Amino acid sequence: MQIRDYVLRRLMILPLLVVGTSIIVFALTRVGGSPIGIYLSHEMNQAEVAQLEERFHLNDPLPVQYVYWVTGVLRGDLGWSGVAAAPVTEVFPAKLAASMELAVASAIVAVVLGVALGTYAGARRNRLPDHLTRIFSISGASMPLFWFAILLLIIFWVNLGWFPIGRSSPELFARIAHPTGLYTVDAVLSGDMTALLDALWHLALPALTLGYGATAIIARMMRSSLVEELQEDYVDAARAKGLPERLVLRRHARRNALIPTVTVIGLTFGFLLQGTVVAEIIFRWPGLGRWMADAVLRGDQATIMAYVMFTSVLFLAVNLVVDVIYAYLDRRVVLGT
Amino acid sequence: MTADIPRRVPVAAPLGETAWRVRTRRWRELAAAVLANPTTVVGLVLIVLLLAVAVSAPFITEPNTPDPYQMPRDWGALNEPPGTPDHVLGTTNTGGDVYYGIIWGARTSLRLSLIVVSITVTVGVAVGSIAGFRGGRVDEVLMRIVDVFLSIPELIFALAIAAVLGPSFRNIILALAVVFWVKYARIMRAQIIHVKDNDYVDAARVIGDSSWRIYLHDVLPNAITPVMVQATLDMGHIVLVGATLSFIGLAEAGLAEWGVLVSEGQVGISAGRWWASTFPGLMVFVWALAFNLVGDGLRDVLDPRTEAR
Repeated sequence: MQIRDYVLRRLMILPLLVVGTSIIVFALTRVGGSPIGIYLSHEMNQAEVAQLEERFHLNDPLPVQYVYWVTGVLRGDLGWSGVAAAPVTEVFPAKLAASMELAVASAIVAVVLGVALGTYAGARRNRLPDHLTRIFSISGASMPLFWFAILLLIIFWVNLGWFPIGRSSPELFARIAHPTGLYTVDAVLSGDMTALLDALWHLALPALTLGYGATAIIARMMRSSLVEELQEDYVDAARAKGLPERLVLRRHARRNALIPTVTVIGLTFGFLLQGTVVAEIIFRWPGLGRWMADAVLRGDQATIMAYVMFTSVLFLAVNLVVDVIYAYLDRRVVLGT
Repeated sequence: MTADIPRRVPVAAPLGETAWRVRTRRWRELAAAVLANPTTVVGLVLIVLLLAVAVSAPFITEPNTPDPYQMPRDWGALNEPPGTPDHVLGTTNTGGDVYYGIIWGARTSLRLSLIVVSITVTVGVAVGSIAGFRGGRVDEVLMRIVDVFLSIPELIFALAIAAVLGPSFRNIILALAVVFWVKYARIMRAQIIHVKDNDYVDAARVIGDSSWRIYLHDVLPNAITPVMVQATLDMGHIVLVGATLSFIGLAEAGLAEWGVLVSEGQVGISAGRWWASTFPGLMVFVWALAFNLVGDGLRDVLDPRTEAR
């Protein structure tokens, strides 16, 4: 199959998957019964409740409700979030910015650290650094994020007092404008160094926590693909012509070893996305993940629906991009189902 | 992903070699290869210890009545640090004994992982087998359903399901079962398609064996190994995800479960009470680590292509 055909095929399946996902999630959110609870308050009488049910079409059959939901989404209406006490679409952008800032920072940590560690270990195969990196990687895959976060808080927040929790200091937050909602970017835009440092300071611990698991996965992949590349003939050739080992590694082996690593980097994105739920709860980070956790505990179905659909679409898109990049980088990949 | 049973058996078996002997010898070789890796052995030892704790929980600590899976509350000893008499690892802010929670938490985790893994493996293998063995339209439909399930990140999917069903440990089990079977369906289908092409399957067909017999005797045994590796890894992974869900608040409060305890202990960390979160979280880590070590070791032996050592 040609790459173009492959991409087209995948793009054609994508909407079907999105629709399928939305049906499953919608059906699931209604299995537990009517979502009316979150909208009720004690002062309401029977008539007012009936009015609410009417307003949200809760008396219609499920498929009809689904159609209402879809038409709402197409018109840019994701429903009313009981947890945020506002329309979902109104709260979403700010929370998304907070989560994205955290996820991107973690991704940067993970890619930089993971590639560096993997290279370091792979070039020293079966020696002490390699063994230590292996322990680090296997621990990363087994580490409960919620526990790791709490451990870091106990050490660096409670005992040493080196890092704060939350997203920024209130007075610095008020001092600058927030056109993007990404505090680091906002601080740079307003040219305020103190605010930038403050934003980074708040970002450091959550980003490290969230990045650990992904760092471990990337380091492991980088290590094993580098070990494989170093056994190739072209590496011997480069050594034979007298190239210093450092350059053999940097110019030849590492570049090729990065190809399989790229796909893993893409896949860790889903990992980071899920991790934000836990990291945001523990570090009091006002993002999508914490909103979702609140919504889950209080039965706020509009928010759950919006969040699950959003992450799924993002996840699908990232997977598609990763597959295409991989197919492009490595022509040996057999495309198909 | 597409490993079949390692072909260590010589093509022409020596005279007097029965099928049974070949099989036992193969298992012995497999066991020796697995045990040659020290990290796998560490994992195995940890698993044995954890299982021993889970199984003998009623003998290690006096079961709480009426429900041993519920934390006993000692209202006269709130927030006691580790080392207190009667409370070796300290207590939580509601007087829960951390030691009791750790011991019975092992039992809770074993229950969780065993139930979820057996449900998901059964369903996944069945669906994957039907899709791979039948092929055609059945395959197409089943795999599109699998694709839809795979398009939602697993923790978020499980979170949404458990939330809808209402907060309880049983619903966490249910949610994890709904989310995790797809992996097995995928693996199994790929394996079946791969194994189906072998000459011995054609041979069985030629001598007139029924499809069901071919599936049971020739295809399934040669296709199942990657499922076993994945199941081992999932024994750890499921406890990790399950504990995350109960940490978020989807299990009953007061359940003797590691995630619940970490969440309960989280409240006290700013006041310097580190123990109630630290010990149970460590158990989740050790549990997941043990099964990851063994799962990785199995994969290296059964499918040498995945990692060049």
